[in-house]
Amino acid sequence: MNEGESELTLAQLARNGASSQPMVSDLRMSAAGAGDLVAKLAPIARFADMFVRPAEQGLERVLVFADDQSGGYLRLICPLDESFPVPLSQVLPAAYQEECELYELWGVEPGGGKPVNRVILPPSAETAEPLRLPGGDRLSSEVRAPHVVQGEAIEFPWGPIRGAGQESLYLGLVTTGEELLDAYLAMFHKHRGLEHRMVGQTLARALFLAERCEGLGAVGNALAFARAAEAALGIAVEPAAEVTRCLALELERIYHHIGSLAALGAATGLSVGQAEAEILLEDCLRLNARVFGHRYIFNLLEVGGVRRGADLAALDSALDRLEARFESLVADLLATNSYVDRLEGAGTIAADDAHRLGLVGPVARAAGVATDLRRTHQVSSTSYVGFQPAREQAGDCLARTLVGAAEVRESLRLVRHWVRSGTPLQDDWAAPGPGQDHVRGPAEGLGWAETCRGEALVHLEVAGGRVSFARLRPAATRNWRAFDDALRARNVFTDVPIVEASFWLTVAGFAR
Amino acid sequence: MTPIVRDLGAQPLSGAAHGEIDAAAARLKRRSQKVLRRSLHIRTVDTGSCGACESEIRLLSSPYYDFHRLGLFFTPTPRHADCLLVTGPGCRAMDHALLSAYEAMPAPKVVVAVGACPLGGVFGADRYTRGEITDVVPVDVVVPGCPPSPLALIHGLLLALDRIEERITLQEGEQ
Repeated sequence: MNEGESELTLAQLARNGASSQPMVSDLRMSAAGAGDLVAKLAPIARFADMFVRPAEQGLERVLVFADDQSGGYLRLICPLDESFPVPLSQVLPAAYQEECELYELWGVEPGGGKPVNRVILPPSAETAEPLRLPGGDRLSSEVRAPHVVQGEAIEFPWGPIRGAGQESLYLGLVTTGEELLDAYLAMFHKHRGLEHRMVGQTLARALFLAERCEGLGAVGNALAFARAAEAALGIAVEPAAEVTRCLALELERIYHHIGSLAALGAATGLSVGQAEAEILLEDCLRLNARVFGHRYIFNLLEVGGVRRGADLAALDSALDRLEARFESLVADLLATNSYVDRLEGAGTIAADDAHRLGLVGPVARAAGVATDLRRTHQVSSTSYVGFQPAREQAGDCLARTLVGAAEVRESLRLVRHWVRSGTPLQDDWAAPGPGQDHVRGPAEGLGWAETCRGEALVHLEVAGGRVSFARLRPAATRNWRAFDDALRARNVFTDVPIVEASFWLTVAGFAR
Repeated sequence: MTPIVRDLGAQPLSGAAHGEIDAAAARLKRRSQKVLRRSLHIRTVDTGSCGACESEIRLLSSPYYDFHRLGLFFTPTPRHADCLLVTGPGCRAMDHALLSAYEAMPAPKVVVAVGACPLGGVFGADRYTRGEITDVVPVDVVVPGCPPSPLALIHGLLLALDRIEERITLQEGEQ
């Protein structure tokens, strides 16, 4: 930095920007200006998202950066008819996935002649129209990044149909035998066009779709969507309903992390540990059904609140036993050397890479990155009192497992606090919903939630009570970005299921 | 008419429901031994599910349900499969993979559609999804639910065995 030049801070930028909602600042600028600013922001802010949206005149590009120190989001908005002088991913590697998607959705090239990967369109499609611009210039199949496997290496194809109960994706494992040299992922076989489907739908119907973006994260994704809609419509949520949402979010986190332990048991061949974890997982799902009426807590959230209260008596009576059995399971697993040895050093991600790729949630926290929206981006000041985010440094499968275990403990503590301290919780079948007063002209909102896999973001634009534009960015979108990096880190073939279980992401969330 | 399974998993399991699991399980085992004279092998295909159906399918082999004791097994290859469990709304990019898996299975074979998605209950037919997987493969049994519980899946597998028995009887009659 030159002498006399003041240090750039996110807070300072946020103050200069227009505020469309609390904790969100917008800066409008030219593409050249945005390119310069992104280079300065890259080391100090976490890249969260990039998307293209229709504007009054043509299309515009929106970049979202998160401030993990003091909370809040900064959005850089620039017109799309100006291209970046250099590809954004050159200074912001995390943005490469979005660059590829934007090409197929809107026909937008990254700039600088950088090749993009075929990500959304089926691999068999030679040419196609941009998915969100029917009738636009046809996309060429020639535009794709080099993918060469040569020498003694071969690409071992796995997918898109995989093992029993596994989601579909294509994984090309490049190997000379046992050691993994590289991995190529094709993740959009399951693309359902959720964002496209939401356009023109009522908020209730769109929330239904947001919930099904990731079934094993339904509460978190629905919460981010509901908060975006509430920000757009200016709806205030009752504190009791807000705490009830957080309660559901933490119950989701508990069963999710226990599901990861079950998958790790299967991946390491530790049948007893797998069975113990599966028993606990089934008990958690049955507890969810007792407390909120659904094993995966579907259909609870609604724009403006929640549809029903929790069965607190059922929850209270189950907490102590659940915690004791969880602690016993974790103690047994960590005392099993053959299990711990498989996790230690496998699928390692360095802290620098975690920041560079914009990772979120337990995967980032296990690599030493302090990011947790429950600490920095609290929507309600009363929900997460005394919250302590988990953190490890090693970045390997064992670190992710330890972070998961610590998060279950913290979630259990929070749930116990909410249930037993007399915190007001929704106790009725009240269904607030947005009234006619809220159905008004165009408005937009950004919603976020710390789901069981990390930060989920939803950008929503509504007009006349219906969705006019939606962008979903589940945590899986960010974290799958590091999966191939983790596989390259001195692993062998049989480490792949272990790394996948420790990430415990969904393909559905990535493919949307 | 395609049989439809009642989803008991939408509600918390009562003692009576546990009894129903045991009764269904015992019946399933008897039928498997009678019809196939061996265990039933199942291949799963996800055509765009949200992941919740996969979670319930994984739990079929967990200690609570332990479908191995009933002579039911997952198989990693369609060549050994009697039954194809299909989840998701039939994303078009999965058409080829789904059809290939079905065609690779030996006869007699059955297809069980799992969850609301493959029935067209969540997504319609458009450029992304089929809406209903019957456009790609014939469906013998549907197990509705979002997602259907492992108990409902066991009921569905029982009905699938009925269909296999019908086909074996039909084949023997033709011979």
